[in-house]
Amino acid sequence: MTEPDGESRELRDLATRGTSIGARLEGLERAVSAARGRLDDALLDETEATVERATARLRLSAHHTVVAIAGATGSGKSSTFNALTGLELSSTGVRRPTTSWATACVWGSEGAEEVLDWLGIPPRHQTMRDSMLDTNFDDRALDGVVLMDLPDHDSTEVAHHLEVDRLVELADLLVWVLDPQKYADAALHDRYLAPYATHAGVMLIVLNHIDTIAPDKRQSMVDDVKRLLANDGLGAVKVIPISAREGIGVEELRQEIASRVEQKRSTTARVEADVAAAAGRLDRAGGDAPPRDISPQQARALEERVAEAAGVPTIAAAVERSIRSRAARAVAWPPVALVAGLGRRRQDEQLAGHRADSPPQTVAVQRAAVDNGIRELADEASQGLAAPWADSVRDAAISRLDEIDDALDGGLGTVDLRADRVPGWVALVRVLQWLVFLGAVGGGVWWAVLASQGTLDEAPEVAGFALPPVVLAGGLVLGLLLWLVFRPLVGGTARARGAAADDALREVVSDVLAKQVVAPTNGALASYSAFRSGIAHAQQ
Amino acid sequence: MSTAPRGRSEEIAGSQMLTEMVRLRGALQAAALPLDLAGVAALREHRQQVIDQLEDYVIPRLMSLDAPLLTVVGGSTGAGKSTLVNTLVGHRVTAPGVLRPTTRSPVLAHHPDDGKWFGQDRLLPDLKRVSHPTNDHDCIQLVPTDAVPKGVAILDAPDVDSVEERNRLLAGQLLAAADLWLFVTSAARYSDQVPWEYLKQAAERSTSVALVLDRTPPDVVETVSGHLARMMASRGLKDSPLFGVPEGPVTDDGLLPLGHVAEIRGWLEALAADAFARNAIVQQTVGGSIRILTRRVYPIADAAEEQLVAIGDLATLVERQYDIVRKQLLTATTDGTLLRGDLLIRWQEFVGSGELIRSLDAKVGFVRERLVNAIKGKPQQAERVASAIGTGLETLVVEHAEQAAARAAAAWRATPYGAQLVDAAAEDLSRAARDLRRRVDREVQAWQAELQELVRTESGDVRTSARFLAVGVRGLAVTLAVVVLGGDQPPAAAAESLRMGTRLLEAVVGPGAAGMLRYKARESLEDRIRALLAGEANRYVAPADQWQLAPDAGEQLRAAARRVDDLRYAATVQKGSGGHL
Repeated sequence: MTEPDGESRELRDLATRGTSIGARLEGLERAVSAARGRLDDALLDETEATVERATARLRLSAHHTVVAIAGATGSGKSSTFNALTGLELSSTGVRRPTTSWATACVWGSEGAEEVLDWLGIPPRHQTMRDSMLDTNFDDRALDGVVLMDLPDHDSTEVAHHLEVDRLVELADLLVWVLDPQKYADAALHDRYLAPYATHAGVMLIVLNHIDTIAPDKRQSMVDDVKRLLANDGLGAVKVIPISAREGIGVEELRQEIASRVEQKRSTTARVEADVAAAAGRLDRAGGDAPPRDISPQQARALEERVAEAAGVPTIAAAVERSIRSRAARAVAWPPVALVAGLGRRRQDEQLAGHRADSPPQTVAVQRAAVDNGIRELADEASQGLAAPWADSVRDAAISRLDEIDDALDGGLGTVDLRADRVPGWVALVRVLQWLVFLGAVGGGVWWAVLASQGTLDEAPEVAGFALPPVVLAGGLVLGLLLWLVFRPLVGGTARARGAAADDALREVVSDVLAKQVVAPTNGALASYSAFRSGIAHAQQ
Repeated sequence: MSTAPRGRSEEIAGSQMLTEMVRLRGALQAAALPLDLAGVAALREHRQQVIDQLEDYVIPRLMSLDAPLLTVVGGSTGAGKSTLVNTLVGHRVTAPGVLRPTTRSPVLAHHPDDGKWFGQDRLLPDLKRVSHPTNDHDCIQLVPTDAVPKGVAILDAPDVDSVEERNRLLAGQLLAAADLWLFVTSAARYSDQVPWEYLKQAAERSTSVALVLDRTPPDVVETVSGHLARMMASRGLKDSPLFGVPEGPVTDDGLLPLGHVAEIRGWLEALAADAFARNAIVQQTVGGSIRILTRRVYPIADAAEEQLVAIGDLATLVERQYDIVRKQLLTATTDGTLLRGDLLIRWQEFVGSGELIRSLDAKVGFVRERLVNAIKGKPQQAERVASAIGTGLETLVVEHAEQAAARAAAAWRATPYGAQLVDAAAEDLSRAARDLRRRVDREVQAWQAELQELVRTESGDVRTSARFLAVGVRGLAVTLAVVVLGGDQPPAAAAESLRMGTRLLEAVVGPGAAGMLRYKARESLEDRIRALLAGEANRYVAPADQWQLAPDAGEQLRAAARRVDDLRYAATVQKGSGGHL
């Protein structure tokens, strides 16, 4: 929606200072802008129109109350209007329909022009009550009233219905004139009363022509009108039996209008009723499921599923196995390691060049499994939401499945599993083992040379032992010791490498999912939260 | 009552017309309009109206052309219908009230001798006959009285415009069954929109109408009736009589002074006495009804055919989406799409250790191999691959079914009438069926079991060979499954291990049998996938099958209407300008 420009917002702030209505209108605006593109545009436009109308009304004279007299043809709207104004302003007659244009009578003209202008009532259909030099009526009571006589809503003249529809939306107080013949007409109840069940507070019902009913039957008729109103959801509306012709009840009607006007509440009440009705409509269309977002647990559960689909646990286990066997070989006594290595190589050759102990690599994800997992998350996230919101949330989650799969494959492919390189200390131990082994071999060779020359006795001695055998034995023992000391550490290192690979892979998964799934889904859910909070503000 | 002067040829024409009307009704009932195509709501209503009109009026009327003239008193609430009927009959037969809407069953007043015409099987068969006042809308109260002249019956209908919807519907039904409308309005009512809509319908189908301007203060009768007469003239009712009933004192019995209705009463009595005029009124109303009926039938026939086309289109939309997805799915199950992630790693573990191949070359004994397998866990590895295949296939099929459902539902939603079906469906059509995962699971299990069976039978005499026993039935079945899923051009990452799988298969059962196995396994998988997706697609068209639309409903309807038109034309030619039948 278009944000209201600064000026109109300022004016509304001025007009609604100290009341909650400004906040409620803003709430409605927020709800509409959050729902745009999700809920039905017609409904949102209608709601916006309500906000605009309310803003426009609140900007206008707060001194004036617009009272509309509406009713069926022949019910006596114009007679009632004339009885209230005390003048023959509206033409009455027996030919139906009589009134074709809305007529207005204003008590207290100051500031009324802009109200009349807003109502679209041309000057030739306006009467200013204080512009006339008659003071017969106690007009102070009705000071500030803009009384409108509307055309009928049920005649064969369709143009009249349109004018009624327009002005019924603008009036602060609606006075429906019913009569004994027509008070049960579907044209009235189905089109103008039942749909305005939210507006009971700004409505008055007048039962005209009461003089044609025998006095003892009048109360039962009023009760019957009340019964039908209760069916429409308007049980709280006051019903005043009058006879404009005989003057019965006219004073009571005038008093009622005067008291409503005096409270100066009608304008706000009407706007509030409009806002409540609009909020109610949005509420019904958008659903009232509690707002939510994707919980960390849900996000983790999805990561777990995607990691499975990428074979992360299996890869991590393979990394661990690979490092374990490499490191074990590295720290082992070199000849043993050599023999084991040779054995492996021979097997590999048989396998047509496939290296069984080639380091594990990441593989592409099982796309269907990833897509499935995301779809289920979308289901959970949208569960209970009204269809338009559920669609929007699901769409945010699953609209880019292919991109997500590609991003996962790409991201996982770049992870360095470090499965073919042993840690530094293992490499160091290997060098040590070789040094010690070479030392032992050197000692052995030396010993052998001396022995063959028969000069064994000339060999240097250490603590009474000839040095070459000591070097040989020491080398062998040291190699064994090295193996004994470092072999137990291999398991821990391999596990750590496996865990590191697991972490690195999961980080990629978590990263992609957070950016491509969780964030957009939470975005849609945040819009829903804004919508709900807007409605909550509008309904407070 | 006197019989209308009708010739023999006319009677024959009448009975032919009756036959055609019954056939027309049958054709209409066959032409259902279940889909919400553009403008179908109005046509549905027309169809129902035409059927009602045939059942409530035209057919009963043609069956008993000599029945009394049924005059229905209709109009707005509060216009004074009840008072008028009571005064015409001469005593209180219905209770007028000041409270609106008056809710009670309609009252039919007739001469005692005419009672036989209003039995249960005649006019308005849906309404139960009772002899006492009741508020039940499904009843009609019969009042035999001498005050009503023989040959005319007066039926008091509910109001056409009150908040009681049931009243409005019943009023419409009764007015449709009338030979003559006595339409009551008042000074306050005469320009109301709703009653004029009824009068417009009456004018359209040349129903005989008389207007009564009731409850009018004597001083304004002239002005109002003048205006009303002009309104009537401008709306096609200039030949209808207009009676004024001035507002007057009502007695305790709810009667107006007799003089107020003398004009109407006189007119009705004259009609009762004049069989020719009465017959003319019936002919006009029946003829008008039939004319408007046939005219309304053609659009319904067109609509019935459009419905068939639209249903065909919808089925095509679903078929197209499922075709696309089926193709994708079948490709995905043969191009190695599944050989990723967990399945690929487990398969590589199974086949890639090298020991498997080596064991095939070694001349090793059965017992020893079993022992080795037990220790090294080869069967467990095969199990793991099998379960990875199960999960992979299941998610792949479900995911494709979800896509197909989303696309098919979207395609339907793009059409206004399809959206209605998606919304009305018992299950969410934009999703795969809720039990699909279970069914896919079952099918995948069955496929794997079938592969084992295949391996067992196809391997024949090698079954006891050391090689065979080394890998085991399970292992071979798993290998076969992976080789089938990998297809001929597997992705690079899986190519190596797949080559080994193929070698393994060929080494055990021989190259020829291996090819045969692959072919059969592949066929079986495709069949199962096709069946699963067909079940999914069927969810969309199932409701349409239930409607059982006859392909020739439209043509039948047109033919029925044409026969009626022919009869009407023949009658007109035969009788000159006189008859409507």
